[in-house]
Amino acid sequence: MNGLLRSPSPLVVLRTIAVAALALISVLTPGFFSEPSLLSLATTVSFIGCVAVGMTFITISGNIMSFSLGALVGATSMIFILAMNFAGLAFGLAAALVFAALINAAQGLLIGAVRANPIIISIAATGLIYGVAEALAAQGAVYPTVGVHWGSGKLVDLPVEFVVLLCSAAVAQFLLSFTVFGRHLLMTGSSLAAAEVIGVRTWRTVTSAYLWAGLFSGLAGIMLAIRYGSASMTYGIGYEYNAMAAVLVGGTSIKGGEGSALRTLIGAIVIAVVEAVLLLWGFRQEWQFFIAGVIVLAVVALQTQGKRD
Amino acid sequence: MSLAFLRNDPHGRPLVTFVLTVLLLVVFGAGQGALLSPAVVRSTLETFGDTGLVALGLGLTMVIREFDLSVVGVFSVGGCIAVLTGNTDPWTGLLLALALGMIAGLAQGWLIVRLRLGSIGITLGGMLVLSGLAYVLSENRSLPYDNMQVALALTQPIAGVFSIRSLLTLAFFVVAALVVGTTRIGRDLIAIGSDRRAAMIAGVNVNAIIVGVFAFSGATAALAGVLVSYSLASASPAGLSDVIVPAATAAILGGVSLSGGTGRPLGIAIGMLILGVLHAGLNVLGAPPYAEQIVMGAVLLVVAVADGPLLLRRLGMTKQLIKPGLISGAHRNG
Repeated sequence: MNGLLRSPSPLVVLRTIAVAALALISVLTPGFFSEPSLLSLATTVSFIGCVAVGMTFITISGNIMSFSLGALVGATSMIFILAMNFAGLAFGLAAALVFAALINAAQGLLIGAVRANPIIISIAATGLIYGVAEALAAQGAVYPTVGVHWGSGKLVDLPVEFVVLLCSAAVAQFLLSFTVFGRHLLMTGSSLAAAEVIGVRTWRTVTSAYLWAGLFSGLAGIMLAIRYGSASMTYGIGYEYNAMAAVLVGGTSIKGGEGSALRTLIGAIVIAVVEAVLLLWGFRQEWQFFIAGVIVLAVVALQTQGKRD
Repeated sequence: MSLAFLRNDPHGRPLVTFVLTVLLLVVFGAGQGALLSPAVVRSTLETFGDTGLVALGLGLTMVIREFDLSVVGVFSVGGCIAVLTGNTDPWTGLLLALALGMIAGLAQGWLIVRLRLGSIGITLGGMLVLSGLAYVLSENRSLPYDNMQVALALTQPIAGVFSIRSLLTLAFFVVAALVVGTTRIGRDLIAIGSDRRAAMIAGVNVNAIIVGVFAFSGATAALAGVLVSYSLASASPAGLSDVIVPAATAAILGGVSLSGGTGRPLGIAIGMLILGVLHAGLNVLGAPPYAEQIVMGAVLLVVAVADGPLLLRRLGMTKQLIKPGLISGAHRNG
């Protein structure tokens, strides 16, 4: 602890080694740097990344994680297509974003106002979202009646989705670093009681955190619907787990009170690169949960190690 | 039965809920008249056999103020292992699955104790690893189990309404209730869930109990997975809403609080019976499958809100009912 000369913490060293190793493995994997591979990587990372940026708000607020964001992505993609078929693109975008924000804010309100357990609320919400979606749209997928696509699909040589992700992460980081809401969020997450004592209305802060999480996840749903020209509840399945892994890899503490959206962005890229490399090595898609689990376990265990030193 | 019993006994509230649920379904199903038939009782007990064991293990982790998310993964991977290895000898499959469940529980409990971590983070990782293992083993398909005799034996009706599965689950609940009700372990569980530091000072071996409860939760989840897969003659990875939603709902309906320190095995059994009656009732009333998913999700949402430490204050009721320690504590259950 002696000022400038202290050696870097073991966690930082470990993180640097891990990223370097990953970069080396990527370079050594044949086909990784081909253009189609990189393009597909950039698109995949955009969907997961938006959910992960949203999840960051929930984790920072001290409510650990939400299991319902994957279901929300699927539901938002369907609302988007249905609303667009009803009254055009602008209405579709607005309806989808409002839907995603409200569904999540409602959960945040229950969690913030009566301190209901966030894990249980999000699991119950997941069941409700899938159940209601099945009741309303038994046929499975919905398709747009009007054409919608991203023009050439690229912006400055990047997929549009990736640009949306970069902008989302920037907006999220701005909210966290430079707004009153962001400061209240960090305080609420590190100590609810202390935040209340100095006059933060924590139920509002928590509800807002969930609202933003819903908005960013909703973006992923909309982008999926546009990319595939259809929408279905199967789109978001498993996204929440990759998002959780991305948040943790980004160094946001699972205990809340600290974290950053930009680091989550890096976390999402790391997760996506790991999965892309494994796929290229011939591991089947089924391995993705297992890999995400190993990453979550390792990061959660290491987080405490770093703190104690 | 006096009112004091209903208020003070840990089983009072679950019993009242159970009776109300049955009454509600009788009123709704009055036209059909088929509600109080042996078939409904049998179906209730089968649901009880399906997730009862998971609810018991998960419920006990909630009593000590932890939460074992990994039961989903253990349940899935237990079923897959049993079906893959138990074709010739079902006992081999059962033992392997049980061993894996117990090791998974021990390992997670040890990590939680050793690293002084919240259980949510560790069991989230455990759930993903184990569910992932189930996906890899099953290649995301439904694994068939060829030993039909086992399937038939497990679901064969006994005395009209029971089966080996539901009787075994019942036996586990009775043993758990005896252990919790009459031995020191039971008092230690409640003490750890109410105030961990005080329990430690009072000489409770907190770490051993935590590791033990997680090992028990892993073993029961694996056993439930094996029994379900054997009796369905197939195994496939289960989702969160298939396992955690009913198990957590049963536990909370059964008087377990997410703030820890309350709840008894028999209460959890009653909670499970409430879900069983609800399931059977919805079937009798001809409700589509998604209706049950919606009802279960809604019930869990409602009980989670009712369990919220600040609910009474928000409703404008007396503030004295809320212990200050619970407010900051329950929020950080993970």
